[in-house]
Amino acid sequence: MQRILEAYVGEYASGKSENAVNRSLQLIKKGRKVRLVDLDVVEPFYTLRPLKKILEQMGIDVLAWETAETIGLGEAAIPLKKETIRALEFDGDLIFDLGYGIDGCNILKIIKDSSGEEKEEKIKIIMVVNITRPLTSSVPLILKMVNEFEEVDGLINNTHLGEETTIELIQKGAIMVTEVAKKLSLPVVATTALRDLASRIGEFDVMGNKVWPIDRYMSKAIW
Amino acid sequence: MITESGGVKMAKETLAGEYQEILNNEKEMFMTGNEVVAWAALAAEADFMYGYPITPQNEIMYYWAKLAPAFGRGFLQTEDEISAGFTMLGGALVGKKTFSATAGPGNILMQESISMAEMMRLPGVWIIQQRGGPSTATVIYSQQEFRLTTTGGNGEGMRLVYSTSSHQELFESTIKAFNNAWKYRFPTFVLGDGYQAKMREPVVLFNPKLRNWEIIAAEPIAMKSGVPYLERDPVHLRNTFNIEEELYDILSGHLADFRRMKQEVVEWDEGGSEKADLLVVAHGIVGRAAISAVKTVNNQGLRVKYFRPITVRPFPGEALRKIVSEEPELKILVAESAYGQLLSVVKEELYGLANTIESYLKPGLGITAEEIEEILVRLGKKEG
Repeated sequence: MQRILEAYVGEYASGKSENAVNRSLQLIKKGRKVRLVDLDVVEPFYTLRPLKKILEQMGIDVLAWETAETIGLGEAAIPLKKETIRALEFDGDLIFDLGYGIDGCNILKIIKDSSGEEKEEKIKIIMVVNITRPLTSSVPLILKMVNEFEEVDGLINNTHLGEETTIELIQKGAIMVTEVAKKLSLPVVATTALRDLASRIGEFDVMGNKVWPIDRYMSKAIW
Repeated sequence: MITESGGVKMAKETLAGEYQEILNNEKEMFMTGNEVVAWAALAAEADFMYGYPITPQNEIMYYWAKLAPAFGRGFLQTEDEISAGFTMLGGALVGKKTFSATAGPGNILMQESISMAEMMRLPGVWIIQQRGGPSTATVIYSQQEFRLTTTGGNGEGMRLVYSTSSHQELFESTIKAFNNAWKYRFPTFVLGDGYQAKMREPVVLFNPKLRNWEIIAAEPIAMKSGVPYLERDPVHLRNTFNIEEELYDILSGHLADFRRMKQEVVEWDEGGSEKADLLVVAHGIVGRAAISAVKTVNNQGLRVKYFRPITVRPFPGEALRKIVSEEPELKILVAESAYGQLLSVVKEELYGLANTIESYLKPGLGITAEEIEEILVRLGKKEG
């Protein structure tokens, strides 16, 4: 069985961590072995910190700092755990949660370069897009953001407005993200939506992309 | 242009057009507070940001530096906050709308330049995203910079300070801050905090001009055109005086200007039961928690009002005093994430009235609506 290697990137507050967490849980439910690696070194850094214990209880192998182990939440320094640097040495699926912007991708390179493995395994870079985020609110702006990352292998439509999210808005996101994907010949991996909204949309969104129901975990982790 | 990665590089003008559309279209956006500030500065036609990184305001710099170049506007990271403050004043002197954002120890370092702006009546906008103190303390949150931000300079300088409680208010108050700074020429602040800086909620960005908001233009203060004495009066800006009377005359003028400005800018939010046994006073994000708590206990039949100052300097003291003086039995609760900074202002404004003032003070710690609710239920119970 080939293992799944995915890294979640995107604009600040686009839903990268939420999607990485939910993807990990989705794989756990399929009976797979999953490691979730917190590579969000952009301050306040390591956003999964407050969730570490909860996720571990759900069966995920989480590589992240615990709040009490850190000083200054990234203002003083950005330490990488030594276990994190060798994160790829794990016999299961790996989901990476990267910080926003190109810095996030640079950290991933450090991990790849530090991997002792001979054969190069492809880590799929998935860009999470919420079209209510100003800098990804139009087709040209999303294309511009894709350009800022060195490589993107797929897009996720994670369009929402917090508690004000409507099905119509999610579908609008699906249309825009699919248009971008077509221009770039990239797949739309999924449209993600909170469980109740997802069930109302059905198995596929208006553009025929798969709908992945997600639950909110990051609301427990504002800092 | 399609690049190697498959994305697209955009011409500066196209990008400016895309950003302008976001303001013009008034679509609901899902944003963090720091981003909202950067967009508000853009909407208020700010020219230049000078700043030095400090949590929790960093994304204001990040987003301004991302947005500004498309409009030919600028950003400079100075060597420290002292420099950021003074370069702002230099920009203002030559007619640029300048601003900065800081927090905690950075707020202290900027006070020297702010004090100079108070003396010379130079405009500028400072965004303060309060963090825990004293000193470096936490990067997270507090309301402990209330006193420093409202009265931080030496010599009783005067300033305008907005304290916001939602992203919508943050956007609108930041635009007002730019307008009023250049209209009244007092240093102007938007007092936020780490929670507001980082939390995400929907907000409608807009182009103030399309809503018929006047945008006050910046004009050169020191380098005006024309020959001094011959074609115009000379500009003589001073922060040094030789005799006491000279200073006293200038400051009396500032006081009169400040009192006039107060009538035009002072803002607050009040609500709850018409007749009340209890009044909660809170500002900023704690004010938001207080309003939520008041709504809940009102539904349970408790008679509670709230008062949330939006301008914390000048303080809407007359409005607060009016509510309290009309109901001699009214008990007051002041809640803040600080050890009595708002409380001392409330006490001063209500001096002489016999109403009981209770307080809920949590320096550097968040206060939830549920906590306030619990206190209101306890205090609201009728004796016997």
